[in-house]
This record gives sequence, structure tokens and C-alpha cells, in this order.
Amino acid sequence: MNRPLNQCVITGPSRNPATHFAATAFSLFYQASTLGIKMEHPLDETATGRFAFTFRTPVTTPVTCDITAWGHDTESAQASENIIQAACGMMSVHGRAGGKIQPLGLHYVSTLTAAMALQGAVAAALGQLRGLTVANTRISMASAALLGASQYIADATVSAASENLPAVKKSECPAPPFISSDGVVFELETLNADSWLKFWTRLEVNPVLAGTGWTAFLLRYAKASAPVPDELSHTLTQISYRDIAALCAQTGMSICTLYTLHERVADQRFKDEWLNGPWAFGLNTDAAHAQAKPLSCSLPLSGLTVVESCRRIQGPLAGHLLALLGAEVIRIEPPGGDPLRGMPPIADGCSVRFDALNRLKTVREIDIKSASGQSEVMALVREADVFLHNWAPHKAAQLTLDDGDLAGLNPALIYAYAAGWSTQDGDARTPSDPIPGTDFMVQAYSGVAHKISQACGSRGGSLFTLLDVLGGVIAAQGITVALLNRFMNRRGGKVTSSLLSAATLLCSEDFQRQYNSFDTQVPPACVLSEVYETKQGKIAVDCCNEEMVQRLLRLLDEPTDCAPPDVHQRLQTVFLTQNASRWLSLLQQAGIPAVAVAEDLSDLPRNAQLQSFLHRGTYLQVVSPWSFQ
Amino acid sequence: MSITVIVPTILRPLTNQQKQIHIGGTKVSEAIDQLEQQYPGIKAKLVTEGAAHRFINIYVNDHDIRFQNGLSTCLQDGDILTILPAVAGGSRI
Repeated sequence: MNRPLNQCVITGPSRNPATHFAATAFSLFYQASTLGIKMEHPLDETATGRFAFTFRTPVTTPVTCDITAWGHDTESAQASENIIQAACGMMSVHGRAGGKIQPLGLHYVSTLTAAMALQGAVAAALGQLRGLTVANTRISMASAALLGASQYIADATVSAASENLPAVKKSECPAPPFISSDGVVFELETLNADSWLKFWTRLEVNPVLAGTGWTAFLLRYAKASAPVPDELSHTLTQISYRDIAALCAQTGMSICTLYTLHERVADQRFKDEWLNGPWAFGLNTDAAHAQAKPLSCSLPLSGLTVVESCRRIQGPLAGHLLALLGAEVIRIEPPGGDPLRGMPPIADGCSVRFDALNRLKTVREIDIKSASGQSEVMALVREADVFLHNWAPHKAAQLTLDDGDLAGLNPALIYAYAAGWSTQDGDARTPSDPIPGTDFMVQAYSGVAHKISQACGSRGGSLFTLLDVLGGVIAAQGITVALLNRFMNRRGGKVTSSLLSAATLLCSEDFQRQYNSFDTQVPPACVLSEVYETKQGKIAVDCCNEEMVQRLLRLLDEPTDCAPPDVHQRLQTVFLTQNASRWLSLLQQAGIPAVAVAEDLSDLPRNAQLQSFLHRGTYLQVVSPWSFQ
Repeated sequence: MSITVIVPTILRPLTNQQKQIHIGGTKVSEAIDQLEQQYPGIKAKLVTEGAAHRFINIYVNDHDIRFQNGLSTCLQDGDILTILPAVAGGSRI
């Protein structure tokens, strides 16, 4: 059963939403369709400052969900994908690798917002079933974007002076991905310094230089830049891809070519993944005797218990989102604690990057590889509502902690697997060679890296860990859906999501354009969406249609009949004549979406429209994106 | 012979909260042994089975010792030995 909400209905203006919500609307209705939710399209509303839909189940009263660009007190302010990316620091983080502020080239914030909006509505219905009086949930694109960048924001805003990661020199040649002598663009991956050293030593690279490269290579996860020494990249340009792949096999390195988006859209396996949606649900166990735990506060998941055994970003973020919705999350860490607790920068004895995703959880140190540890996990799971892990493939079975093992203990359990490659066990969508399911490898394999490279004029994808973040969001979303299904239909079972299914979700517009399989419209591309340097500071400007471009040109006393390349050049020249604040004032008066680009994440609180989403502790914390009424 | 050891926050409970320690030793392993004498328990956090722990990076003047001679990497007067937890943290279990 892969349509767990097929008794539910969403009513909303999918056919003609305001232009700046078109991408969010598209993704929302696509995601809802894959969950089996029936769509109803009323007469389209005319409000442009928000996008609203109603979620109905057979057993609850309707829940309305309001989506705005910024906070709800600034509902009239319009902002599209790139405006939010610019204001919330995503362009800054993504641009680090290439040395310039750049849009991601994807409807990333729109997709995140759609997923979290749908999750909020589902959570509200779940709250009703558990006795909560809630009829409305709200979320904004800005709050979703900030949550997506929360680790980077924590890193940039820690107040206490502490040790820094080792300095790495900027490289002239942005890398990775790398390129071979026969022109193949590819990603390398290893989490093992020995493999990295063997690989480069076999290529006769000086070990000290290889070590410098290792530091830069590892830092790409934390810093979104990877200034690997040019000598390393250059070495690979002298060798064929086949030989590099063979060397990887000999030294324990992993390699993945960048597949084109066209290849992926044309691939039946990827089409099937897209048609299926980001989740695989196997909700078949009897939950008739599930204990209905009482709410402990006014959040919809309060009173529910999640046991989490996850590392790094994807799984911990999923647990964090559930905690923000009120769940009690018990986090299992190895004896001595998760080593990432020590990853600089540190505040109050803990990595702020780690804390940003784990601060709301209770920690239990358990050696899950031992029999006694496994018994401890089982004891926790007996009393839990959700078990969430992101272990490597087949590990759960080895640990006797697979879904079948735990369903025997607790049939009402929602067993959630936040995987790397595929939502199906042993599925052919997983690459034939076992390569680690890390963000950058999945970007390369899925076509997302290619899509970004086409939009940005770069060689590869983003070093912003965008799939880890979206993967975490859809994992939490799938769990919330499965919990609602449990309360409605008395079924427990398994829900799987993956980095690959997150990647396919990000490419869903491309699949829809090709196959038109869902009753929802692909959003139109923005006519003009650029970042401009001003006399002081950068601004992002978005014109969703031609009329808006004409209005902009008239405002700036520029001819309205010049070709698009000339428009960009002319606008850049004009914008250099005044400060960003002056331009933003003029553009706002003219009704043209524009915003100051957040180049430094520590400046985010200066943006009044973001202040309500940020909390100043020892670092800048991103608060819950949801509100419920 | 004086080596400056930069201690990460996570290990400072073992060093009486000292951020920097001055110590002797001609090799990284000797410096760690001297650290252990002054601050018992710290060696186990750094070394396992004769090599630097997987989750710990040790740098001599910004160079990762795994890409030099490991714990046998030579030290010279004035060198800075930096200890840092690994960034990626290794694969899933």
C-alpha cells in the first residue's frame, strides 16, 4: 500500500496560484498526489500574499494551511524562490565553492516549503485525532529556507571564540567534481583517509599535498567549499575515466559520473520512482491495540515517542523536525557520544552544527553492535511510536533491528528508514557498484548536479548539502503521514525515503514536463531572476513575467525593447550607481520583488523579516517553521 | 624542545580546561606519551591500535599526520600540534 492518505482531500488553487507560489503549489500537489490525496480545485482565490489550501480527512475537521513568503505580519510582501534564497543565505552558501553569490538553479525552497506545509497540515489532523483543537497551520518560505540552512547559520554565528577547522588555501580550479582526460565529469567519495592516501600515492602525488586535499575534501560537508589543490585535479585530467575508476576499485575510493538530467528523465527506473513519490510505505501491521498516548502540550506530536539512531544530517534533521512538532525524541548515540559532537565550532562543550539538529533530544548511549545494546534498543522500541534510522544498507538486519524484528515487539510501530539510494530494498535504482549514499554522490547520480550545473554554468552540483536537508524533511514528512494513517486505519509498518528520492522530487517538474502524469501545472520560469552588484551590497531581483520586466526598465529609464542579454548588462550598469538600500526602496515602491543578498550569514538578524524565525543563544538558532491555531 | 599542543574543547575536561599545552617530544607519539603522563586518559582518546583514532585528526603545523608518517611524524622545536575531531565522522556505523 503506497497511497496511505487515499481517503483524504486537499482543496487549493493548483491551476492558477500567484506566480511566486507556483513552484510551491506544483510540488505540494505532486507530493499530495503521490500520497493518494484527492485534489479539488475551487475557483482560484485572488490573494497574492499567501497561498492557502485545506486538508480534509474522513475523521477530522478541515485544517487550513497558509503559506506566505515571509512572516504572516508581512503577508503583502511578495517574494519568489530566488528572493528567499538570497535573503536567507542559501545563495551565499551555495556560491562559496564558485567564489560568487549564486542561485541554486532549482526550486529548492519551494519544494522544502511544500513538503513542510503538507507535513504541518497532516500533523494538525493527527493532533485533532489526539484531542488537540487545531484548525489552522502556517508556514513561510523564509522559515523553511532558514531551517534548511540552520547548520551553516549555527556555524557562522557562534558567539564564543573556539577552535576553528584547519585553514585551507583557495584553489583556482573549483573542485570537485573532477574531470578525466576523456572529458568525463565525476565525483569521488571516501570517508576514509587511508583510501584517499592510497589513491593519490598510486598517482604519484606528494602525500603532503594529498593530505592538504583531504582536509579540503572533508571540509566540503561543513563549509560548502572544497579547495582541493589544483595539482590533484590536474593529475586526474591526464588519466582516462576508465583508469581512474579502476584505481578507485583498487584503493577503496568510490566514483560516480555526473548523469545528465535528460538521461534520468528518460530512464524508466527514475520515472517509476517519480510516479511512486518520495516514499515507500509498507503499512501492514496491526496497530489496533496501539496505546493512544495523551498530548503533553499544544504541539500535535507531543506525547509521541521517537527513537532515533542516526548520524550526520539527513536522519538527525528528520528527528529534529519531529521534535519541533512536539515529539519526544530519544537519540541513540555510541558509548562516549557521537563524535560529531566535537566538530568545531564548539559552544558550551558541543558542536553548534551538531546542536542545531539535535538540541531538542534526549540522548541514550548504547552500543548497538552488542547483544545487550540491541536488547536496550528493543526495550525502548516497545514503548515507542516511531523508530528512525539511517544505517547503511543491510545493517538493520545484521543488528536484528530490521522492521520485521521490531514489528514483532510493537506492531503499531512506524519503522522509518532514511536511506541513501533507494526507497525499495535491493531495488535496481541503487547503483550497481556499492558506493556510499552521500549527498554529493547522489546529486551526481540523480541528475540534480547536472541540473544545477546547467543553471549555474558550473561543472557540477552544490556543496550545500541540499539532499541531506530535503532527505531529512521528507523522512519526517513520511513518518508524520504514517502516524496519521495509523490513527485513521490502525496500521503500523515501514516508511522508507532516501536521498535519491529527495533528488527525484527536486526534478519532478522535469518529469512532469516530459510525461504530464499528474494533474498539476509546471510553474513557468521567471523571466528575469538575477543578482546584481550595487554601489554597496548585492541585491537579488525577480521579475516573474514580461510586464514586470517592462515596469523595471521604465523605472530605471532604460529602453524597453532591448534583447535579454542587453537587459542584464544594462541593469547591472545602472544598479552600480546607487546603494542597495536605495534600490530596494525604489523597487519595493514599484512592486518589483527584490531583496538584499545575505552575503554573511551572521547578518541574517538584520533582516527584520527574518527576526521572528531566529533565536540568539550561544549561536543563532532557527526556531520551528510551523505555527498552529 | 617545546611543542605547542592545541587541545580541542571536547578534550579539555582532561586537561584542566587548558586550551594550549607546552610539551616535549621528537615525534608525535612521544608528545602524546608525555601528554598522557600529565593528563591521564588523553592518549586513549587519540590513539587506538597504534594509530591515530579514526575520529581524530592530528595536525603538525596544519599538515595531517596521516599523510606524513603517522604517529612517527617528527617534531621540531616550535611546532604546533593541533588535535581536532574529524569533520565527516565516518560512515554510518
